Amino acid sequence: MISIGIIANPASGKDIRRLVSHATIIDNNEKINIVERIVLGAQALGVERVYMMPDSYNMGYRAEDNLNICNELKCEINVINIMRFDGMEDTISAVKFMEDAKVGCIVTLGGDGTNRAVAKVIKDTPIISISTGTNNVYPEMMEGTVVGMASAAVASGCFDKRLFMQRDKRIEIYKGGEMIDVALIDAVISRDVLVGSKAIWDMDSIDKIYVTRCHPASIGFSSIMGSKKIITEDDDFGAYGEINQKSQKVIAAVAAGVLSHISISEPVILNLNEEHSFISKYRGTIALDGEREIPFSENQEYIFKITKNGPNHVNVKKVLETSQKNGFFNIEP
Amino acid sequence: MKITNEQIKNMYETMLKIRKFETRAKDLFAEGKVGGFVHLYIGEEAVATGACANLRTDDYITSTHRGHGHIIAKGGDLKYMMAELFQKETGYCKGKGGSMHIADATKGILGANGIVGAGQNIAVGSGLAIQYKKTDQVCVCFFGDASTNQSTFHEALNLASVWKLPVIFVCENNGYGISVSQARHQAITDVSVRAAAYNMPGVTVDGNDVFAVYEAVNEAVAKARKGQGPTLVECKTYRWRGHFEGDPTVYRPAGELEKWIKKDPIPRVEKYMLENKIMTDEEIAAKNTYVDDMIKEAEKFADESSMPSLESALQDVYTDIIEEGRVR
Repeated sequence: MISIGIIANPASGKDIRRLVSHATIIDNNEKINIVERIVLGAQALGVERVYMMPDSYNMGYRAEDNLNICNELKCEINVINIMRFDGMEDTISAVKFMEDAKVGCIVTLGGDGTNRAVAKVIKDTPIISISTGTNNVYPEMMEGTVVGMASAAVASGCFDKRLFMQRDKRIEIYKGGEMIDVALIDAVISRDVLVGSKAIWDMDSIDKIYVTRCHPASIGFSSIMGSKKIITEDDDFGAYGEINQKSQKVIAAVAAGVLSHISISEPVILNLNEEHSFISKYRGTIALDGEREIPFSENQEYIFKITKNGPNHVNVKKVLETSQKNGFFNIEP
Repeated sequence: MKITNEQIKNMYETMLKIRKFETRAKDLFAEGKVGGFVHLYIGEEAVATGACANLRTDDYITSTHRGHGHIIAKGGDLKYMMAELFQKETGYCKGKGGSMHIADATKGILGANGIVGAGQNIAVGSGLAIQYKKTDQVCVCFFGDASTNQSTFHEALNLASVWKLPVIFVCENNGYGISVSQARHQAITDVSVRAAAYNMPGVTVDGNDVFAVYEAVNEAVAKARKGQGPTLVECKTYRWRGHFEGDPTVYRPAGELEKWIKKDPIPRVEKYMLENKIMTDEEIAAKNTYVDDMIKEAEKFADESSMPSLESALQDVYTDIIEEGRVR
């Protein structure tokens, strides 16, 4: 049976960035619409079962009801039976469940944070990430129907996945020899002492930025580094930079509609698996993919390491091109 | 987030005052000393505390039927509050209003309110007054998730947005409208999304994290003081007690309360203070004793106060100040 998984984060698109920047609110009803379009695209190309993460708004059941009412649901929607905590734990449990169920592809709806949760545990299953927010680098804005078609092509097993899939980089953070967390795009050392509402928008509190990739077309902290150097997902290295008053100032899109003037040092290349030590001289937090996550106090050592242990990420355009070249869309007479 | 250790200690004390006041009110209600209904705020302390920590004495709040926490966080006097619950003449409403009508204009507390959603338009009125007087005050309007289905909510957000009023709408989403779960009373999970319809920022925060609430309201207050209009801040939280004291809470799924008790906002702050050496175990214990004594003092004050006289029954009901045919 050809199956895919869908992880739609009910909490994405509503955090404090709507207040401190010009980010867009994304309602869960819109996410349900996107889920429906993914299902329709996927079932049309052979997906027979869609596993969905359970959530407080029952997005899976609502999508199923809506498609049944229209008499358009042909595949099975299976809202998986896991204990719900209404937090990041749900994403982690859902990924484990879906990998155990051997789904051919997992589609995520959320932001960098949602995908970071996926990246913590996912092994080899390919993922496609749809952005449901305005402050994201890792997931992309894509039409659900097309993503559903691409997920079906990936899950079909008809093609060599190396044609459209690559293992992403991630930043691994170690303390006392143990990996305590990961980031997909950036990790930031902040003097902000509280996790609070998580997002960071006060650039004066930032001291150091680690990135797996950076580009001026990004948004968030990686755009700051991106104003000095371009590092793509294909490069076998990342970088870090220091924020300080002595360096040249750049303009960067640090959040939706927020253009800041920031002094950033020349980026220092971090090769894959190279360890970089940070020893704190003050209390603060480490923000991962834009969200304060790890509080630290004075004289604590953290190791930052860029690896190729991230998710297997699908390039939607490439998979559909591969499908077209191989007659995947042809209907038998 | 700019926050001092002193502010954190003050927020902790406020949360303790709310928790201990409400816990004692629960017992006193069971003993028959508290008249009328009481709707307790236990479990939701971080919302009122984090929001009001951003306010000055001359700022306003409007409250709800579950108002004790808001009033304490805005500086209400525990003695007069307890006396009001005891229906004594020393109470905030001279013993004639009870739990749901406590107000203190000197501290900007525009009143608890027995009518669901009624505070929202009062908040807009206060916002208009602030704008008219050209001051930099703000009004924080507290309300629950189910009240956002009322017309008052939509009228209030609409006018506040059109007129760019300095109102911060703080929704305490505790998942229930009386006994009806949010999933059964509204077709959304996040009340914050309703802000989009009124062209104002809407954010959702963890309402059991006092720092998250503080930070979001801090930004919203700063924006409002600069004349940049209203904000809707949704705080996800949970009330540990029933809708009212005596509510058997049969509508709650098994294990739900226990799940939320694990997210108790008060130990979260204690843990943060201990880890960051802001308070020691001994200082936390001493603070608890200090607040316990305040509650005892409030209860003693209420106990020893007199009941209102029979003659006062009609006082403060009708005004006799008439001028040019209009009631002033």
